[in-house]
Amino acid sequence: MVRSTASAPATVRTTWSAARARTRADAAPGERRSAAYLYILPALAFYGLFVLAPFGHSIALSFFDYDGISPGSWIGLANYKELLADSQTRGAFVHALVLVVFYAALPVAIGLLLAASLSRTRVRGLAWFRTVLFLPQIIPLVVVAVIWRYIYAPGEGPLNEALRATGLSGLARPWLGDFSWALPAVGIVGTWVQYGLCMVLFIAGVQKIPTSLYDAARVDGAGALNEFLAVTLPNLRNEIAVALTLTIIASLRNFDLIYLTTQGGPGNATSVPAFEVYNQAFEVGRVGFASAIGVTLALIIFAITIGVNRIAEARS
Amino acid sequence: MATVRFEGAGKRFGGVDALVDLHLDIEDGELAVLVGPSGSGKTTALRLLAGLESITSGHVWIGDKQVDALPPRDRDIAMVFQDYALYPQMTVYKNLAFGLRMRKVAPGDIDGQVLTAAKTLGLEDLLERRPRELSGGQRQRVALGRALVRQPQVFLMDEPLSNLDAKLRTQTRVEIARIQREFGITTVYVTHDQIEAMTLGRRVAVMRDGRLQQFDSPKGLYDRPANLFVASFIGSPAMNITEGSLEHAGDGLAIAFGDHRLAVGRPESRPDDGIGAYAGRKVLLGIRPEAMADASLALGTPEDRRMTVRVELREDVGSDVYAYFEGGPPVSNPGLAESPTGDDDEAGGNRRRTFVARLSPQSKAREGDAIQIAINDRALFFFDPDTGVRIG
Repeated sequence: MVRSTASAPATVRTTWSAARARTRADAAPGERRSAAYLYILPALAFYGLFVLAPFGHSIALSFFDYDGISPGSWIGLANYKELLADSQTRGAFVHALVLVVFYAALPVAIGLLLAASLSRTRVRGLAWFRTVLFLPQIIPLVVVAVIWRYIYAPGEGPLNEALRATGLSGLARPWLGDFSWALPAVGIVGTWVQYGLCMVLFIAGVQKIPTSLYDAARVDGAGALNEFLAVTLPNLRNEIAVALTLTIIASLRNFDLIYLTTQGGPGNATSVPAFEVYNQAFEVGRVGFASAIGVTLALIIFAITIGVNRIAEARS
Repeated sequence: MATVRFEGAGKRFGGVDALVDLHLDIEDGELAVLVGPSGSGKTTALRLLAGLESITSGHVWIGDKQVDALPPRDRDIAMVFQDYALYPQMTVYKNLAFGLRMRKVAPGDIDGQVLTAAKTLGLEDLLERRPRELSGGQRQRVALGRALVRQPQVFLMDEPLSNLDAKLRTQTRVEIARIQREFGITTVYVTHDQIEAMTLGRRVAVMRDGRLQQFDSPKGLYDRPANLFVASFIGSPAMNITEGSLEHAGDGLAIAFGDHRLAVGRPESRPDDGIGAYAGRKVLLGIRPEAMADASLALGTPEDRRMTVRVELREDVGSDVYAYFEGGPPVSNPGLAESPTGDDDEAGGNRRRTFVARLSPQSKAREGDAIQIAINDRALFFFDPDTGVRIG
């Protein structure tokens, strides 16, 4: 294929027939490799138009001082320097990392616990449990936000009511309005949404593990913990990598839940990068700076995702 | 090392009896084989012994300890699984060491024991490999090593050769027999393959539908099968079985089936028989393919011990010639027998019409030829047509 296109003689007609002859004679069977690009062209065109082009545009905007209306001016890396210097923006990134614990680490841990316990006992009505526990994933986030705003409501909210009813009224507080509790409170909502996904992934993974491995571990004298460490955990490596990738991305680019529950407040206590992008671009009117935050967030997500998958592959 | 004893052991799954009232005494250092078709309860029995399934009724003993309620780790057993069940993320060394680590053996001792087991099985060069970097045969040796390294009281083997190719299977079979003898560890071996069972087992328990049919030496099973099922399960090619009627012939008996009639001999020449009581009645007749000979090569066989048949198919395998011909009518109660290959009833029923004889390679019998087959009357087996129990 390569040779036939590289050695193009003078007249087009002879080239064409010579290439065909040579393709038949000594090239690998099947169509020319370059034909493949033709097949992916439609999808690639859409991807380029709606993903790559806007992303490139955002990168470009991040080097400008631009308010979204009047012509911008080139300011080089100034937006990125400000991003590092500005405590409010830095805080948003720190909040995102805290949310990783609630969105990714906790759901994966809970999912593993559930999957591991299910691997040792046959539960009747497993499909029913799976459906119920997966439900938070299906409910639209807007509804989730409304549900939890109600649960967390100051004064008469069910959570505070429950605390008072059990004699823990000292703990009752306006959860989403409390400077130190608002972020964990939002995080718990993320845990509630994500653990079902992790659990379903892990249960599917556990069912693929040959039962003879569990039998072998039991005969070898492994208790529940060692059985988990020697059989369940290593065999779920791929599922854990997938779960971590999905949940970490979800936590870092979290916007809707914050927007619908706290709007980043109180103060900036629950502000996250994606919310800052929105805030800077559409409320403050600093599109260039917002782009810089967005690009930085994208790079962090890339880096963490690649890291997670590198670790998973290295172990396998 | 220890004896193993099933004392009326039973297991129910839901409403299904997987194992019914199993009584079995396995001696110290013995290699006993549980053999039977799928669903016969052999694996269930093994898992009860391992503690991987809870017992529904009866008891299981290892040595002088009743182990019914003990978890697997407290039974001092080691098990080899059909799919090897090696921990994929661990090296061979760690796979071998895992059971010792779980038993809190001192690290220094672990190393010594692992290396000894590795040496016995020729695994020294593979210790740092992971299971997926090994061939099927090597994996099987690691699985054996993992069982061996702990020096347990009892080895349990669940179809350990099923995933190997034919040549490797024979090699590994010999290897297992060697190791078992060398270490003298009581071994319970489960297989569906009767050749494996007969070659490995000092005694073989034939199982069917959750029930023990017979527990005897391989020769005992072959020469004195307890019933039609054992008779048809043991032996390859399988015993030819047909329906016939026992008739008086002079001062002896004869069996008539299809177009054929064979002398059975005087009752006093078959002292352990109960066939006298069946004279004039329908019985089931079994003839082993290897009990037949080409009459032209077995001179001196009396006329009434020969049958004339037309050869339908001749298979020459070099050492033997298999001749297929029409025998007697099929058994009308096909549930009594079972072909070891697990043919469905209809195919089995049809095939039973066709007899197979294992003839000497000198036999000139060709397809289409009418030949005479000589039959040793000692090789005739008789079974009750209703129960399948052997009567002579």
